[in-house]
Amino acid sequence: MLGRLSHAGGIRSSGSPLTAAADATSSSSTRQLPRPRPSLVPAGALQFLTWALIVTGVVGPFLPLLYASVRDRPLYEDGGLFSLRGYREVLGDSAFWHAALNTLQYAVETTALAVVGGAAIAILVARTDMPARRILSRLILLPVLLPALGIVLGWIVVWGPGGYLTLLADQRLHLPTLAINTIPGMSLIESARLLPIAFLTCEAALSRADSSLEDAARSAGAGPLRVLRSVTVPMLRPALLNSGTLIFTLAIASLGIPLLLGSQRGINTISTYLYLNWTNGANPDPPSVSAGAVILLAIATILLIVRNRLLGAEARFVSIGGRAGRKAMLQLRGLRWPCMAAVTLYLVFSTLIPVLGLALMSVVVILTPLIAPWHLLTSDHWHTLAQAEFRQAIEHSVVISLAGAILTTALVALATLVAHRSRFPLRRTLPFLMLYPRATPGLIIGIGFFWAYLLTGAIGDYLRTSIWGIMVAFCVRDLPFAYVVMYPTLTRIGEELDRAGRSVGAGWWLTSRRIVLPLLRPAIFASFILMFVEILNDYDPALFLVKPGTEVIGTIMLSEFIQGTIGPVAALALVQVAATVVVLGVGAALLKIRVTGEHDA
Amino acid sequence: MPEIHVDNLVKIFGNQRALDQVTFAVEEGELFTLLGPSGCGKSTTLLSIAGFQRPEEGRIDVDETTFFDAERRINIAAERRNLGIVFQSYAVWPHMTVFENLAFPLKVRRVAKRDIRSRVADVLELVEMGEYASRYPHQLSGGQQQRVALARALVYSPEVLLLDEPFSNLDAKLRERARAWVKELQRSLGLTTVFVTHDQDEALSMSDRVVVMNRGVVQQIGTPEDVYRRPANRFVAEFVGRVNLVQGVVAAHDGATVVVSVDGSSHRLAVAAPGGVVPVSGPVTLAFRPESVTLLPAESTTNGTNTWEGDVHAVAFLGDHYEYDIHVGSLPLTVQSGQRMAGDRIKVHIPQEALSILADESA
Repeated sequence: MLGRLSHAGGIRSSGSPLTAAADATSSSSTRQLPRPRPSLVPAGALQFLTWALIVTGVVGPFLPLLYASVRDRPLYEDGGLFSLRGYREVLGDSAFWHAALNTLQYAVETTALAVVGGAAIAILVARTDMPARRILSRLILLPVLLPALGIVLGWIVVWGPGGYLTLLADQRLHLPTLAINTIPGMSLIESARLLPIAFLTCEAALSRADSSLEDAARSAGAGPLRVLRSVTVPMLRPALLNSGTLIFTLAIASLGIPLLLGSQRGINTISTYLYLNWTNGANPDPPSVSAGAVILLAIATILLIVRNRLLGAEARFVSIGGRAGRKAMLQLRGLRWPCMAAVTLYLVFSTLIPVLGLALMSVVVILTPLIAPWHLLTSDHWHTLAQAEFRQAIEHSVVISLAGAILTTALVALATLVAHRSRFPLRRTLPFLMLYPRATPGLIIGIGFFWAYLLTGAIGDYLRTSIWGIMVAFCVRDLPFAYVVMYPTLTRIGEELDRAGRSVGAGWWLTSRRIVLPLLRPAIFASFILMFVEILNDYDPALFLVKPGTEVIGTIMLSEFIQGTIGPVAALALVQVAATVVVLGVGAALLKIRVTGEHDA
Repeated sequence: MPEIHVDNLVKIFGNQRALDQVTFAVEEGELFTLLGPSGCGKSTTLLSIAGFQRPEEGRIDVDETTFFDAERRINIAAERRNLGIVFQSYAVWPHMTVFENLAFPLKVRRVAKRDIRSRVADVLELVEMGEYASRYPHQLSGGQQQRVALARALVYSPEVLLLDEPFSNLDAKLRERARAWVKELQRSLGLTTVFVTHDQDEALSMSDRVVVMNRGVVQQIGTPEDVYRRPANRFVAEFVGRVNLVQGVVAAHDGATVVVSVDGSSHRLAVAAPGGVVPVSGPVTLAFRPESVTLLPAESTTNGTNTWEGDVHAVAFLGDHYEYDIHVGSLPLTVQSGQRMAGDRIKVHIPQEALSILADESA
């Protein structure tokens, strides 16, 4: 149109500078521009493919699981018939009901401890003058980020029956100790791991909420504690309910802690009950394990739906909350340092002691308070890591973490765009699908994929016998983290930016590729880092998929530990912890540089 | 330059009709403004033309091309409509330089590299941003970003320019300059333009024609003068500028004037009705602008049609004029005048031509 544009200028040359400029354009090109060509990749097909991949990954494992639970014999045996025998077996087994009661006690105690602790720390960090609150609020995240299995092993080395501190306290100092291989003891460890979830939710709610609400109560004559009780805590109620439900769900699904501590003493939860039945070489009963898994899945799904309702309630609270302004500071006075000490103590117990225990264990022949550790030094455990078995597992883990993180990040980035920035008819199903695996027990994903691979012919066989099958299960299990990182960033990218892209002639895919995805880059990078760490540290779905030759760090740690090979496992756990810290640290540093770099560019 | 025809658009959000049979035609080369309060459907209309909203019913044509037709299930994708649009937030892509922002639409059209450079340079010159080509958007002021957004919308020679409240993020001084500048650019390029605003000053000062909308319904289409001086209904009268409204009943009627007796008083108003369709009887609402009233001293001997005596309740000084709050009996009137009148009693004269009869909303 520049041709037309100059033409118009010519007709109305009124002598204004603008008209002159319009005239000037005539010299450059008078050619009509071609219309933009339609994209080679039809947007609809790409959006459907993305959606189909997510559906296959998330729903895929559940259908075979459901199918396996209503057959009279395992799917790998010929001639199965429809039967509810699996459900009858499970529900008729008194051990299952015993495990269910244990699970309930375990989950309730874990939730109570984690929610109360997390909320208390959140209030201390967000609303008081506790010293070092900023750095503490960062460190609090460590327990959820560090490898769960490694930390549990660390606890056992230090605090388990025969653990270093247990023996020290019991035999040397004659002090009573809390046995961690009881349900309250296991809940304590589980809650230490899950507490940051409650902390994060509450802290976010507090920093969103207008602190003038609290100021108003103060000026109305309420003392600090009264304000806390009457204003702050009620304000946190949605966050408490929301994080409490999530923690409860995760505690029900927890496998590592009950397996390593409880089942040794015959205390089973539903998870360990199912796992032990599954791996019971003498008398395996896949249909009834599948039936039990379906029951567990139903419970987790109900809890997720409840949580979604609560999230809706929370959103209503948020919308009335003002913007984050000046924070009301509750003066702790004499309690400043004791409060800080309490929070530090939590960090010491949840993170430092297990990690130190692992470090010590990895360099001594035997860890005992009876002989000073420096008399027992050895580097054998570390040498063991170089042996084929361990080395292969480490290599596998690194490969699937890298590949899995790349694949999942790419897929979730696309799926997030389809969900929130497209007109794809089924887009509204995607957010739920992408959050669903978060509440799904790892063992269900493991069993589900086991059946799924079994039923899908050559592709399934290939996945079943290689590390890629484990990778797919880990990716599905951990993809909610990628979505949770990307979605908030996407909402901050104004929709007019992609509309502008469409209006100048770029189709959905070109707009996504050239405009939205580049703007999403920091979140894509963050999600890659997080996915890498999560996949590296994940283990429970793999317990049902692993075969000789496809071990990953988590599975080999668990199996070797149960066989009593403690030293090398401690060294391996330490490697995992170190890798996690380094990757997260480097990632955070790079992210900071990239974000600020983009600002200064 | 093309014409735009919008026909019977209906858009439903939930159980609310965001657009209710919106119909208008934009003539070639004119600046056509959609004016109304927020939620009146003006942006929905614009986004429907752009292809970002899909109405339930109706039809949109630009020249011979049908962009949208609910009946024939035609809905050309936004990216295939070849329109230029400037968004309220400007939507200048923050990760691209000014040059890259302008080059993107040309790359999409596979224009040769050399041509891209010369075209971008020309258009940046046109919006007086030539020296900022290598800057990033965050290094530009709001006004400069707006020029970049406009340049980006012009660089690929679109058929039609759409402006979605482009001035609302500028401060008052800058806004006035930007209005004049955009208007001049639009006129010199002769570009058919649809402009959305909730600001009546903006609409009146820039537009060739205005459509006033409310609750998804077109209230009036006309030149700025038409809309201001001869508002079609009460909503238009109140939304565009300030207005005095008087309820009454038609008392007498001949070819050229209608005499209305004002409710609750013995006053009468004669209204010029040049050939217009006016109610011959029954209740009517009359409207007149505060500045159209002439003020006279109370002792003035003028005593003709449409001259009333009233009490001055309050006077406010607003710089270039005074604003009077006058009560004629129980009827409150707002009057603007350059003069400061002394005394509490005053005479007001409402010229016949200044009065308009508003359509009865209940009808």
